[in-house]
Amino acid sequence: MLDLFLNGLSNIFTDPFALVMSIVGVAVGIIVGALPGLTATMGVALVLPLTFGMEPVAGLLLLSGVYFGGVYGGSITAILLKTPGTPAAAATALDGYALAQKGMAGKALGVATLSSFTGGTLSIVILMFLSPILANIALEFSAPETFALAVFGLSIIASISGKSLVKGLIAGMVGLLLAMVGLDPILGFPRFTGGIEQMINGVPFIPIMIGLFAASEAFKSLSEMNVKEKVKVKIEKILPTWAEFRRLIPTILRSTGLGTFIGIIPGAGADIAAFVSYNEAKRFSKDKDGFGKGKIEGVSACESGANACTGGALVPLLTLGIPGDAVTAVMLGALMVQGLQPGPLLFKNNGDLVYTLFIGMIICYVIMLLMGLFAARYFARVVEIPREILTPIILVLCIVGSYAINNSFFDVIIMAVAGVVGYFMQKYDFPASPIVLALILGPMAESQFRRALALSNGSYDIFYTRPIPLVLLLLSAITLLTPIVKAVWQQWKRAYQ
Amino acid sequence: MNWKRFLSGLTASALIAALVGCGSNNAASPSGGNGSPGEGDYPKKPIELIVPYAAGGGTDAVARAFADSAKKVLPQPIGVVNKTGGGGAVGMSEGSKAKPDGYKVTLVTVEMTTLPLLGLAAFTPDDFKPVARLNADPAAITVRADAPWNTIEEFLDYAKQNPGKVRIGNSGTGAIWHLAATALEQKTGAKFSHIPFDGANPAVTALLGGHIEAVSVSPAEVAAQVQAGKLKMLGVMADERLPKFKDVPTLKEKGLDLSIGTWRGLAVPKDTPDNVVAVLKEAAKKVTEDKAFTDVLDNMNLGVSYADDAAFKEAIQRDSELFAKLVADLGLKK
Repeated sequence: MLDLFLNGLSNIFTDPFALVMSIVGVAVGIIVGALPGLTATMGVALVLPLTFGMEPVAGLLLLSGVYFGGVYGGSITAILLKTPGTPAAAATALDGYALAQKGMAGKALGVATLSSFTGGTLSIVILMFLSPILANIALEFSAPETFALAVFGLSIIASISGKSLVKGLIAGMVGLLLAMVGLDPILGFPRFTGGIEQMINGVPFIPIMIGLFAASEAFKSLSEMNVKEKVKVKIEKILPTWAEFRRLIPTILRSTGLGTFIGIIPGAGADIAAFVSYNEAKRFSKDKDGFGKGKIEGVSACESGANACTGGALVPLLTLGIPGDAVTAVMLGALMVQGLQPGPLLFKNNGDLVYTLFIGMIICYVIMLLMGLFAARYFARVVEIPREILTPIILVLCIVGSYAINNSFFDVIIMAVAGVVGYFMQKYDFPASPIVLALILGPMAESQFRRALALSNGSYDIFYTRPIPLVLLLLSAITLLTPIVKAVWQQWKRAYQ
Repeated sequence: MNWKRFLSGLTASALIAALVGCGSNNAASPSGGNGSPGEGDYPKKPIELIVPYAAGGGTDAVARAFADSAKKVLPQPIGVVNKTGGGGAVGMSEGSKAKPDGYKVTLVTVEMTTLPLLGLAAFTPDDFKPVARLNADPAAITVRADAPWNTIEEFLDYAKQNPGKVRIGNSGTGAIWHLAATALEQKTGAKFSHIPFDGANPAVTALLGGHIEAVSVSPAEVAAQVQAGKLKMLGVMADERLPKFKDVPTLKEKGLDLSIGTWRGLAVPKDTPDNVVAVLKEAAKKVTEDKAFTDVLDNMNLGVSYADDAAFKEAIQRDSELFAKLVADLGLKK
């Protein structure tokens, strides 16, 4: 093990091209991630053909750089513009944007960068030392387990609803209804598609997210164009103070664990990791009401969780040849084009290369940290740009971003509709994140529920006779019932005092 | 070392680009002089290749490898454009409606025959003129290495004696691997429980985890696990044994006349002139013989399988008829 590790270390530092590719990859990834509509998955897919002619290490580090940078980059626009560049960053926007509104954009960016780096690096270390043990988790997770995870994820709506739980639940239900559109996941019958081909695979999700968050914010800004209000930005401090960082450590470690674990589970990615980490940070915090109003723990939890997902998703990819999410599915192709067969034999046949890659990935994260901290100072100034200049730019980004996903104008229309709906939702205090969460988890919950029943030949026993679904479903019940029980208890106490 | 390679690669591609530029200029001037455009001067501008699936997937890899190698045999470059949605329906539908001048070519897949039958597409295979098939992969029956069945006969016997006990994973209802497993049922009288997954990879994962008994996906998707000794392939639904899995019998050898699988090829709108098809077909033939192209497919465990326009058309028709019957029997027709 140790000699493989040292070998990798010397390999990577004698390969300047691979190091340059890591830097290029991270830079491209951050830009791709920051732009709405261009997700980490797309970024990796776009640079994939460039790696065909490269040595395996350089090519794969370019892809890893784009992957890591892409997951992190989404937070930048989420914090500054409430325009989540990636679905995971929709969670970051909850507290990140609130911080920016308070004039603490620099601090929010600094915390996001530091947490992304820590979560990501720790997950690579876990990948390096524990992957053979953890890989089996991926195999344990079948339909009933993933269904229970999706239900647990949906229970998070309770904690991201903002001011009104009822409005949050309404938004969540709207999201679930939208998630019904498209091919029935088991029987293959098209539902509510209106005969529109683009709807067969469901309502396109990323345009809705761009519309609800970014376009609605731009519309709001248009309607307030005459209001003179300037956000005062103090950007002396990018890095959190030592005391603040110490306070963040439990959050980062918890989120890293959760993120890595969720990354390992096939079909669950950075978006779910970010929301679950946010939820757990809130659950364990003494100041629950501060969440959503600009709390650095909120930003830190999402970012460390989302980036920890990267190492987690690589665990089943490298050890079993199973991609954990959409990005690693593309990377599976990249490995195979290089003539490397991911799976149980990869470590045996190419151990040297695998450890060189691990070291390279950690270097990618270090590069990301340096770039992020250096750039945060300048990015934070975006908040100072006058609205009449910034708003049209955001709208252009919305249109380009939603077109770019499928090269489809239909998606632009969806984005625009979602933008108008989002504008009124904002006006009447309906939170947007429950819709996003329901769109991510609704299809997953439905298809896995029905697949589980297909596996069990129609018997519901499958949901409570296996340990993982039982625990997860109980946890969801606790998450949902706690606020109700608390309210009833308090009422009862008041009545009898 | 690497820097040198990188720079020499850059210079080489710049040179190629320059040469291509000159070549098209030269080609353009005489035809302009003759004043007879249309015949023989195709292609005079870059060609767009529509890929109906997302960048980064297997179909995308085939398309990009094709575009890369085609640079060597066509005077104009091919640009790959991913038009995703509708499980391939959006991209293929757009390709079928393109202007029939050969500048918008579609990378069609077996879903070109299944989607219209399932009522999920606005086009039919007849809206296309097939140009050439590039790749084909059969369905394979794969089980866990520790499964009690060592031959396809044992597996089928068990499925016959225990109807519905064998859960067989596929990549989605109505997808090619579902149809393949159904065809096997009909041919042998065995009875499976079909479990649709969201793609082939999750099905293989479930098999590895012991949540299902078998999968009917292509060898490419189980190759890594088979080589690692975690899964074993009992049989392939191909006409001949696969070069990479010489010891896996075909179902034909076992007296089951089944040959079902996925394929990828080039097609153009049905009114495209024959001279254009001829140019593309010739290019496709040369590409499938190019080592750079075959290496990419080989690394991904995909089978290179060239068929010219006539043979490809015939294969599409044969598949359409077979699938029409299966889809009707399954009650999937909308």
